[in-house]
Amino acid sequence: MGKTETYIDVAIHALNKKGEELCGDQADLFKSEDEVFFVMADGLGSGVKANILATLTVKIAMTMLRHGESLEETIDTIMQTLPVCSVRKVAYSTFCMVHLKNDGRCRLIEYHNPPVFFCSNGRITPYISTYETYGDKEVRISELELGIGDYLTIVSDGAVHAGVGTMLNHGWEWPHIAAFLNRQQPKSAELISKTLIETCNNLYGGLPGDDTSVATLMLVEPKVTRLFSGPPVQREQDHEVAARFVQGSVKRVVCGGTAANLMARELNRELRCEMDYYEPSIPPIAHIKGIDLVTEGVLTLKRVSERLEDYAAGQIISFGKPDAATLLLNLLINDSTHIEFWIGKAINPAHQNPDFPFELSIKQNILDRIIATLRKIGKIVMIQYV
Amino acid sequence: MIIQVCIGSACHLKGSYKVIQTLKGLIEAEGLEDQVILKSSFCLGACSGAVSIQVDENPVEPLHPEEVIRFFENRVKGVTQREIHRV
Repeated sequence: MGKTETYIDVAIHALNKKGEELCGDQADLFKSEDEVFFVMADGLGSGVKANILATLTVKIAMTMLRHGESLEETIDTIMQTLPVCSVRKVAYSTFCMVHLKNDGRCRLIEYHNPPVFFCSNGRITPYISTYETYGDKEVRISELELGIGDYLTIVSDGAVHAGVGTMLNHGWEWPHIAAFLNRQQPKSAELISKTLIETCNNLYGGLPGDDTSVATLMLVEPKVTRLFSGPPVQREQDHEVAARFVQGSVKRVVCGGTAANLMARELNRELRCEMDYYEPSIPPIAHIKGIDLVTEGVLTLKRVSERLEDYAAGQIISFGKPDAATLLLNLLINDSTHIEFWIGKAINPAHQNPDFPFELSIKQNILDRIIATLRKIGKIVMIQYV
Repeated sequence: MIIQVCIGSACHLKGSYKVIQTLKGLIEAEGLEDQVILKSSFCLGACSGAVSIQVDENPVEPLHPEEVIRFFENRVKGVTQREIHRV
């Protein structure tokens, strides 16, 4: 499983100001095996102009910081490059840059954004900063140390203004959000970001008065999920694969009727299928002792793939229903940092039926898409063919 | 009597959901819950026909969702009543 003993879990969500197609907040993430660079920027104004300012800021900052350029150089380049707003005669975008290493060391660079929420030992904690001036810009720089379970939540000012003048007199002010975060018992970065952005949206009555972004970076212990789909090519290997599958302390998922039958047979355990459909389009789950989740294969995976892609595109997805696809999504997004795919390459006779939809006949394609999307959202994926 | 209905991918697409819901409804309507156990099952290995079902230890057979009522009348209701008479 590699040498790294911690993992940085990241979840980013954004709301566009009502009536705007483009978001004036931008965020970007670069993740390597042992560190994360994250940048969020909020461009002046809204719509196209703000979007361009924020996009430029984020891209310049990300490219330069990742390649080790100095902060001075980076900020100077941003200021020289941003187009000047014809209305307000300034080139302006707030920004927040985070460089977080797997060992918990973190450098935070903030310029005019709402201060980052730093949760240490379950409480939002103040942190000591120094202020440095670059040109005429005063930038706040902080060195933090994160332990397991600690997190940083970065918001744009749309969050601290949520509900201003409508639901709340002064918006959802910083101390209110801090108190709100203190009440959460977060299991994953996604659950923090999602709860926060949904609350902002509710405070805006579903019509955000400003672009609103929320990002959470959380240091967690690696949580491994092992997913088995499709029987091995060689039938003789069934037993050995099943025996290996149940070793180690990981969460286990079996996707596919044939794969589930195989596991139950080889492990000599009962396979019990549920009858309750929480979602008529997805076959119910089943149970095998010692396996955390047993689902049907290709239909469930297809749904997981689609919703995972929505999630990766920034949509807020619900984890409320206990159907097979939602359970698997919740496990992958909120409860896994590393995912091992054990893919059997045997040809499934069920998929050779001419009536079977073509797009589903190639389960491998669906798995490939799931794997690519999981990697895109920062999960560490390993694949082995059995 | 145990009736297993396949909910594997192929059968699901051919209407396992409808077969299960219809059978459930009929069994309840006739008050046969004590005599007929309805179960779902992953792939029964006969994917090319309609929805695969298996009655007790009999061979797996295809059941079209539109024919569930007829199946129930002929193969479930009659049989279970005969069993009751025997007792």
